[in-house]
Amino acid sequence: MKYLLIVLALIATSSIYAQDSLSTIERQALQNYKTLKPGKSKFMIRGFFFTGFDAVDVEGVTDFGFIGGGFNPVLLYKQSDKLFFEAELEGGYGANGFELGLGYANASFILNKYVTVRAGQFLLPFGTFTEKMHPAWINRSVNAPLGFGHDGIAPSSDVGLELRGAFYTGSLKLNYQIYVVNGPQIKDGSIEEGEAGMLKFGYMKDNNKDKTVGGRVGIFPFSNSMMEVGFSAMMGKVGTEGSRYKDVTANLYAVDFSLVKPLSFMKSVIDIKGQYNYSQVSSADFLDVEDTTGGFYSFDNISNGYYAQLTVRPSLIENKFFRNLELVGRYSVLQTPEGALWEQNPTQITVGLNYWLDWRTVIKFGYQTTSGLGNHDLGATITQDMFYFRWAMGF
Amino acid sequence: MKKIIIITSVIAVLVGSFLTVSSCKVSPMVAMKSGAQIWGENCIRCHNGVSPDAFSDAEWEVTGMHMRLRANLTQEETNKVIEFLQSAN
Ligand code: HEC
Repeated sequence: MKYLLIVLALIATSSIYAQDSLSTIERQALQNYKTLKPGKSKFMIRGFFFTGFDAVDVEGVTDFGFIGGGFNPVLLYKQSDKLFFEAELEGGYGANGFELGLGYANASFILNKYVTVRAGQFLLPFGTFTEKMHPAWINRSVNAPLGFGHDGIAPSSDVGLELRGAFYTGSLKLNYQIYVVNGPQIKDGSIEEGEAGMLKFGYMKDNNKDKTVGGRVGIFPFSNSMMEVGFSAMMGKVGTEGSRYKDVTANLYAVDFSLVKPLSFMKSVIDIKGQYNYSQVSSADFLDVEDTTGGFYSFDNISNGYYAQLTVRPSLIENKFFRNLELVGRYSVLQTPEGALWEQNPTQITVGLNYWLDWRTVIKFGYQTTSGLGNHDLGATITQDMFYFRWAMGF
Repeated sequence: MKKIIIITSVIAVLVGSFLTVSSCKVSPMVAMKSGAQIWGENCIRCHNGVSPDAFSDAEWEVTGMHMRLRANLTQEETNKVIEFLQSAN
C-alpha cells in the first residue's frame, strides 16, 4: 500500500512537472516567435561567386592557369512595400591584387502600379545582356559577348534617374525604362594613346553640363511571356566642356531578342538570346600617335556588333544526370571604326557543355575561338583559342 | 532637351499605339493566370526555374520585389508569384 502511494505520488508530481515544462516550452516558443517574426523592413545578403581554369593559345603561345575567381556580394533591402535598395560589389583579382568595385547601388520607389522611380548607380537597360544576363550563374557562356565590358561599345552602368514599369494591353505585355544619366565620355588619347575616339562607360564625374538620355521598350508578342523583343536608344554629348571635343555627341542603339520555350517533342527547353549594338559618335580629329610630325587624323566613328546564343537543356527527360546537362553555342561579332588606331573586327565562336548542380550552381566546360583583326593592344590579325572550366554559384 | 523630347515621344508613340490597338485592359486570360503559371512562364526566362524551397517567406518578399524591378513584372504578377512561392516552400 505504502509503495502504491509513493508510485502514485511520483506519477502525479512528474505529470505536473511535465505539464509545467510543456507550458514553459510553449511560452519560450511564443517568445521566440515574437523576436523572430519579421518586421516590415527586410534585409538580404546574396550574390555570386565563380572560379575556374583557362588554357589559352594565342598564335602558338600557350598559357594556362586557375582563374582567381570573382566574388560579387549583392545587398538587397526592402524597406516597405514601396521602397527598395540594391547594391552589388564586384570583387576580383586585378593587376594590384584583390580589387573591389561597385557594380550598382540604387534606391527604387514604387510610385504606382505602372511607374517605379529609381535613382543612383544602376545597370543600364541598353539591350538585356548587362542588366539581365551578366552574373556568372546566369550567363550560359564563359564570358560576356564581344562588345560588352572593358573597351566595349555597349554601355554598362551609369549614375542618374530612371522611370520603369510594365503593363498589359489586352494579352500583350509591354515594359519600358527611360533614364537620364551623366553619360559616356570620349577618350581624347591623352591617357591611353591610340584609343582616341573610343567611348568610356561607367560611373564618372560628369565632363559637361549636357545629360545623356536613353530608354528601352520591351514587347512580349505572346501572352505566355516566352518571347521578348526590345529596342533601346541612348544619346548625349560625350566631349568634355571647353575641350577640342566639346561638341562631340554619341547615338547608341540596340535591339534584343529572347525566346525560352519548352519543346515537348525534344523533351528539352531551348533558350535563344541575342543583341545587336550600334554606336555612332560624331566625327572629330584626333592626334595620330603613329605620326612623328604630330599630325591629326579622322575616321568614321561608327561601331557595331552582335551576339546570338542558343542553349538546349533536356530538362523534360527522366534521367537525372542528362536532365542537368546543357549545350550552349554562341556566335559574336564586333566591328570598331575602320581606320581608327583601335580598329578591330573579331569574330568569336563559343561551344560549351554545362552541368547544373542545382538551379543556381553550374559547372561549365567549353571551347572559345576568337579571330580577326584583334585585340587593339596587339594591333594585328590574331587567333585566340581557349579551353575553359568554370564553377559558378549564385547564392 | 531635344533628346529628351525625341526619346520620350518615341516611347510615347510606341506605347500609345499599343494602347489604342488593344483595349488597354488586361485580357481575362491573363488576369486569370495563377501564381504557379506566372512562375512557370516567367522565372525561367533569364535563369533556371527557381525552386520555392530555396527561401523563407520573408526572403521571397525581398527577392520577389527585386525581380519585379529587374524583370519588369507587373504588380499583379509579382503578388501572385510571391504568394505561390510562399505557399510552396
Ligand atoms: C529578365 C530576367 C529575369 C527574370 C524574368 C527573372 N529573373 Fe530572377 N534574377 C535575374 C537577375 C539578373 C538576377 C541577379 C541579380 C544580381 O545579382 O544582380 C536574378 C536573381 C534572382 C534570385 C536571387 C536573389 C535575388 O533577388 O537576386 C532569385 C531568388 C530570383 N532571381 C528569382 C526569380 C523569380 C522567382 C522569377 C520569376 C518571377 C525571376 N527571378 C525572373 C533576372 C531575372
